Amino acid sequence: MPTDTLFSLANSAALLGWTALALSPLAPRPAVMLAGRIIPLALATLYTGLVLAFWSGAEGGFSTLPDVMALFRTPEITLAGWAHYLAFDLFVGAWVAQTARSEGIPHYQTLPLLLLTFLFGPAGFLATQLLRTARSPFPSLQPKGQP
Amino acid sequence: MTPALTLPARPTLRLWDAAPALSAFALLVALAAIPLLAAAALDPRSLQGEGIWVKPLKFHLALTVYFATLAIFARWMPAGMMETRGWRIYQAVIIACTVGELLWIGGAAALGTASHFNLSSPAWAMLYPLMGVFAVTLTSMTLVMGMAIWRNTATGLPAPVHLSVALGLVLTFVLTVLAASILAQGTGHLVGTPVTGARLPLLGWSREVGDLRAPHFLATHAMHVLPLAGLSALALPSRAQVPAVWIAAAAFCALVLWALATSLAGRPLV
Repeated sequence: MPTDTLFSLANSAALLGWTALALSPLAPRPAVMLAGRIIPLALATLYTGLVLAFWSGAEGGFSTLPDVMALFRTPEITLAGWAHYLAFDLFVGAWVAQTARSEGIPHYQTLPLLLLTFLFGPAGFLATQLLRTARSPFPSLQPKGQP
Repeated sequence: MTPALTLPARPTLRLWDAAPALSAFALLVALAAIPLLAAAALDPRSLQGEGIWVKPLKFHLALTVYFATLAIFARWMPAGMMETRGWRIYQAVIIACTVGELLWIGGAAALGTASHFNLSSPAWAMLYPLMGVFAVTLTSMTLVMGMAIWRNTATGLPAPVHLSVALGLVLTFVLTVLAASILAQGTGHLVGTPVTGARLPLLGWSREVGDLRAPHFLATHAMHVLPLAGLSALALPSRAQVPAVWIAAAAFCALVLWALATSLAGRPLV
């Protein structure tokens, strides 16, 4: 399958997962199963297959920035890198949705966190932790069992 | 709301009860083929005329069948033997050797090169004999289990089936080590010329020259063929059942030796 087709397929799969998370109050468990397990695992399979097939033929490596940039001269490795972003960002997105729900964060506050994680993964993760800290700065003082 | 105080009993399978590590490992080897299938679908490279991931996939299939078979037969092991510390250590060694073997074969495919018979660099030349030691070690579990089941008088199996399971396991070890060591003497699995590429589907054996993988395959399947013979023997009059298993074992040994001789002579089996 050409890399362009795989790229579109991977993007569509990730988008489906993010849509499920945005609508997750309607069906929280299936949404988290889809966006936190099924789609990330499918993307992880694509990633692993690409790395097994194309890593040894690619230039570059992990040790210097020019080496990392050289890796991305191989289209299949760039596709693998993209699948990596998609898989892990979506997995973190599912964790954000699940954590926000279990801590009683209203969905209108979760949505911007999900959007940020979707576009700029680590920034969304950071924002989620900032919001959780602001809502409950001393979790050890909370009575047990309270969200 | 009161939380449930007791968890529902975890559903277990008989395989996981009798041999949790062997069953889990068989399933793990099977699941690990999923990324290899993805690689096979994406990778344009080939080696010796077939897709580069065909060989790792065949080894994952074969070792899944191997460990699943051992897990099935584990229920006839002497009571308590598989709970001993010695067994756990031995089993861990077997699993480590198998993981090593699969990493070597899969790693060679990822690097676009051969695993067996690869002497192209000092590192590969050092790995190949080491992997031979690993292979004999992982095959030794059939001998150990075969002997243990043989001596276990409490399997509850009819005599011909009991004998055929034990004998099949022991013969898998003896015949596989024989066939594989002959296979490893050469520079490749094929004997003879010309090789134009005619092969059996799935198995991949040559249809034009001798292919020493064929006797290895037959030898290793003693653990399946003999128990089937043992089950079939139940249809015979009871006095003939046990002798029939011995005759089947002798015939199977003869088949493997014939396959070895034919392949060494440079002729295909089929």
